[in-house]
Amino acid sequence: MSVVMFFLAAGAAIIGAIGVVTLRNPLYSVLALVCHLVALAALFLLLRAEFVAAAQVVVYAGAVMVLYVFVVAYVGGGEEVSAGSTLRILGPLFALALAVELFIALLGSALSGIHRYGAPYKLGFGTPEQIGRLFLTDYLFPFEVASLLLLVAAIGAVVLARRRRGLEEGALELKDLLAMPRPAYTGTIAEGVGVRRVREQLEQAHGGVTEVVPAGAPGSEEQS
Amino acid sequence: MNAHPYAMSFLLATAHIHGPHISWAELSPIAVLGVGALVVLLVGLASSQMVRARLVPTLTLVAIAGAIGTEIWRFSHAPQTIVAGALRIDDLALIADLVCAVAAVAAVLLAWRARAPREAGQGEFHSLMLFSLMGMAVLVSAQDLITLFLGLELLSIPLYVLCAAEYRREGSLEAGLKYLIIGSVGSATLVYGLALIYGATGQTGFGAVAHVLASQSGGGLLGDPLLLTGIALVIVGFAFKASVAPFHQWTPDVYEGAPTAITAFMATATKAAAIAVFLRFFDFTLTAEHVNWAPALAALASVTIIVGNVGALGQSSLKRLLGYSGVAQAGYMLTGLVVGTRLGVSATMFYVVAYLLMNLGAFAVIVHQERVSGSDRMAALSGLGRRSPLLAWSLTIAMLALAGIPGTIGFIGKVQLIHSLVNGGYGWLAIVLVVGAMISLGYYLRVVAAIWMTPADARGVAVAGAGPLAGAPVAAFPPIAGGSPEADLQASAGGGALGVERLTGDPELLLVAGVFGALCIVFGVIPGPVFEFVAHAGAALVGLR
Repeated sequence: MSVVMFFLAAGAAIIGAIGVVTLRNPLYSVLALVCHLVALAALFLLLRAEFVAAAQVVVYAGAVMVLYVFVVAYVGGGEEVSAGSTLRILGPLFALALAVELFIALLGSALSGIHRYGAPYKLGFGTPEQIGRLFLTDYLFPFEVASLLLLVAAIGAVVLARRRRGLEEGALELKDLLAMPRPAYTGTIAEGVGVRRVREQLEQAHGGVTEVVPAGAPGSEEQS
Repeated sequence: MNAHPYAMSFLLATAHIHGPHISWAELSPIAVLGVGALVVLLVGLASSQMVRARLVPTLTLVAIAGAIGTEIWRFSHAPQTIVAGALRIDDLALIADLVCAVAAVAAVLLAWRARAPREAGQGEFHSLMLFSLMGMAVLVSAQDLITLFLGLELLSIPLYVLCAAEYRREGSLEAGLKYLIIGSVGSATLVYGLALIYGATGQTGFGAVAHVLASQSGGGLLGDPLLLTGIALVIVGFAFKASVAPFHQWTPDVYEGAPTAITAFMATATKAAAIAVFLRFFDFTLTAEHVNWAPALAALASVTIIVGNVGALGQSSLKRLLGYSGVAQAGYMLTGLVVGTRLGVSATMFYVVAYLLMNLGAFAVIVHQERVSGSDRMAALSGLGRRSPLLAWSLTIAMLALAGIPGTIGFIGKVQLIHSLVNGGYGWLAIVLVVGAMISLGYYLRVVAAIWMTPADARGVAVAGAGPLAGAPVAAFPPIAGGSPEADLQASAGGGALGVERLTGDPELLLVAGVFGALCIVFGVIPGPVFEFVAHAGAALVGLR
């Protein structure tokens, strides 16, 4: 029974994860993520980690995902930025190589454990009491650091989200708000993934003027 | 009669729980930073503008000074693992802590009049910086895979926010977002690798993992694909943080876009912490696997040296140039790790100290340059030698030291690395290092030339300052921006595109540039004290030759 459950949940988790990255509609992506998280919760349940499974459903599949849905509903999809052709070929290739490597690693050493039942179940394992005890004894320091991490995340969200008044007049000039295009061929990420080349080709196709300025010269402007 | 399960769990819950023993004396370098961050955050809520603008940075400096004090106090004590095996604050950790703390002091000084803390809020800006510093301290002294990961996150997440601190400037926001996404990919890779290492060894403590690996040497576990894949993923995760090629793509973009004080902090402190944790994890925890990871890291180091140095050749922005130079320097530091000897560890930590001294002076000059001319273009440096000799000399010394000219600390650092490489049987890597240093002269000397060779006429400065906007309709804006408000006011009162040149510069910038420029020379001539200092790092990693 547990074997059947395992393969059901594992399959659902993988399908959900694939759905998150392949579905084009952000709302469907979020729903696929919910499916993935619920399947993970089922896997935790099979490992007798009831508390973690419940927390997974309540916190991630419940609260966090509701926030995601709200954000998607407010912000909407937006336009897709298509990556350059280099990236479109290279990306899946690298992903495939990594996947093959991971499969070799996992099959090479973990298959020996597939016919066994793993670590024996101890009474009290995975209960909130046990987890709380570990937090206050063996993992006290990581627990405290994690709480600081949450504080930092909260501060960061406030810093980035609020709109502050009280900055002196003139503290911000128009030229600071303008995007300054970087000179060509200085190794930006945009160049690395081929976005710039695609844009240049598009501009040439539309008859736009693309001036390629030597890297040393300041004042290179790009038509965008 | 068997006990009922619920009764058992009830008993478990009510049984008296003994928390782990916490040695506050040993924990003090980390605790001071945590307390300092919270105090700074609270003081930052004060309503008085004066309190916020002056008291908060001062308190930040006090907190960092307190941390430096405790670090010196704990230096070369016999360390134990503390708080239930989570940390071990040994000399390697303390040296890295000190380097990070000095970088943080410099960053606070560079941000003293900058726009970033005013825009993000003084309290928030400085407490995030302190939290990041604390994350570095946790990371370099971690003794457990879980502590390691949490330390890395505590280091990174404040930096993501700080990069975007000037969030109304598109470049800053872009830098924050890029760093967030790429940093998260790095963290995810790292945590996957850590999970696989845990899966292979069944342990999370560094000592326990090392023990399992050592007890099975020659046995099955060392060649275990699960463990090897875990190590590979961990290398990738750390490489993202230390900006090792080919995982360096974010570095120039983020360095250029972030507020310069934060760039200085990231470039020096993050790199020091990442290299220190690299050292501890590979030369202590995985030292039994040396035959397997050393070739991979050697290849990465040589790729990094070449990519960083060649990439820097075509840069016109000083911050991008230092970004690429930082990539190359990360490659140099990795070489000392590859050999896996005490000599290598000491040489690497020596280079980390040298890298700190060489870069902070340069970044102080860049901050000055941005305030005067509004850009960090290399062309805007022309005439700096006449306008501000102190800054010009600091930048010159920093560039020569980074290139490895004799008489500077950079030369001694490279000699140390080469010595350890040849000693450890990696002569070819030493040749790559030397070739990289030769290439690097091509761009470091270009900066020196830009400082001294062009005559200082005001017109050149103004043109360079307004240059990036020459095509835009706002070219009439004065070239001074982001400096102190008075200077902006003066400039707009002066009205002309020439603006008012400040002949010297802000005192705190002069201080940082002068001190670090001088230290590059002093320790380049008398490197003895630094040698003794970093020799402790090699001795801290037990089990090394």
